[in-house]
Amino acid sequence: MKVLSLLSALCLLLPLPVGAQPRRRTQGKQEKAGPFTRLPDGKPNMQGYWETRNFFTAFDLETHEKAEFGVPAGKGVIVDPPDGKIPYQPWAAKQKADNIEHHMFNDPQAHCYLSGVPRQMYTPFGFQILQPPGSVVLLYEAFHSYRIIPLDGRPHIPEAIRLFEGDSRGRWEGDTLVVDVTNQNPSTWFDMAGNFHSDALHVVERFTPVDANTINYEATLDDPKVFTRPFKIAFALGRNPDPNYQQMEYACVEGEKDLQHYTETDGAKKK
Amino acid sequence: MQGGLLAVRKNRSLTVAAPIFLCLCGVVQAQKSTVPRLPDGHPDLQGIWEARNTADGNLEAHSAAAGIRAGTAVIVDPADGKIPYQPWAAAKQKENFAKRATLDPVNRCFLPGVPRIAYMHYPFQIFQTPQFIAITYEYVHASRTIFMNGKPHLDDIDFWMGDSRGHWEGDTLVVDVTDNNSETWLDSSGNFHSEAMHVVERYTRTSPDTLQYEATIEDPKVFTRPWKIAMPLYRHAEPDAQLYEYECHVYRETEPEQSK
Repeated sequence: MKVLSLLSALCLLLPLPVGAQPRRRTQGKQEKAGPFTRLPDGKPNMQGYWETRNFFTAFDLETHEKAEFGVPAGKGVIVDPPDGKIPYQPWAAKQKADNIEHHMFNDPQAHCYLSGVPRQMYTPFGFQILQPPGSVVLLYEAFHSYRIIPLDGRPHIPEAIRLFEGDSRGRWEGDTLVVDVTNQNPSTWFDMAGNFHSDALHVVERFTPVDANTINYEATLDDPKVFTRPFKIAFALGRNPDPNYQQMEYACVEGEKDLQHYTETDGAKKK
Repeated sequence: MQGGLLAVRKNRSLTVAAPIFLCLCGVVQAQKSTVPRLPDGHPDLQGIWEARNTADGNLEAHSAAAGIRAGTAVIVDPADGKIPYQPWAAAKQKENFAKRATLDPVNRCFLPGVPRIAYMHYPFQIFQTPQFIAITYEYVHASRTIFMNGKPHLDDIDFWMGDSRGHWEGDTLVVDVTDNNSETWLDSSGNFHSEAMHVVERYTRTSPDTLQYEATIEDPKVFTRPWKIAMPLYRHAEPDAQLYEYECHVYRETEPEQSK
């Protein structure tokens, strides 16, 4: 009897058979991946090198129908509202248009600032997930940034503390890692199309492993100062297929030898 | 009442006390080896750590200077506590010191490199998994991944933070750091190295709240011999301790506007 219960407990810890995975990948031509594995504590093992499969998202969260100089055409990742547009309040829609016309130098990434959440998740060059005891750590190549997601249920930091990457708190809902992100500063943008938010931004991310090589990523973005309602983005993260891949260092400003001209000439002055 | 041992001596029962004393030493030894451990048996180095010394001001013994607190040397080898520079390099360090306001890479918000990042006055956090150990630093949100998977160093690629490969020697995490670029300094006083620098770091958890940090620094282009620094790092024991951000470049850009 004891042996039996031990066996069934072990079975719970083992990965589900392939047949039990209801979703199938629709993108890419790689051979079908096996099921994701699990850590000794039974949680999904998402460790490894990951990258968005939708390179266009870095340019614009919304669909961009016609290619222009510097911006390719591409499909947006907004799944709610159904029209795929960010539900801006009227003043904010004007601000976004003005950002594109006059203020592209304010794009925080142009200054090598941290990208914020969720932008960090679809900024090129990928990231590594580590799952040490008690937390999930995301290490990004771009801007050598990182996010620490404690899983111990501690409350968010005081409102007065504002961070580019915000304050992340994680919890598991079944096999989905849910991350609540608050305390972001109003300096980050969502993309290279001037889409923006205020300090009231509240992001809830959901990381759902689908198979060994795929994580479905969703983020609900709420900001009552800027949007008329919350909206949601969704895309797949793919595991880097190269077994010898390892992440490098993209230092950004630290490697910029022409810093004086970059930040201090008339043309480069913030408007 | 003096110490217990003295009391025992007064009672002339030293013969009895000696075995007890030895026994106590044994207990102390055993406690030393019961550092917190992870399921894989290795010491648990996880936590938020910070140096509490003046090493970032100057690794050698030094008087106070603009922006630098006076302090003693953290160099334990050679015994004189001095960096064993080649003559040309000693002259270069003096020049660096004089021009440190503009030349110190940290004053331009560049990544500080290894080992300097370990003793800057900002906390850092260690995360352990069997294949990788990550160290995340509050200062300019620098991070390092220490490969524990036995893969060799990369060739011909330079990094601000070097290429780190680790292994355990008993309870000590030993990290071999190569592929450093030549842009970083070792402290605010212009102590420097070339791209030939090879650093071996040793992290040993000596108590729940202290982590002994040692680094051997070798660079045949700049020094006459390898040399070594050593210092304790201290754990942040606040229950709500966590890393925040020091996004250096933001403050550098906004500073002129504030002073106008």
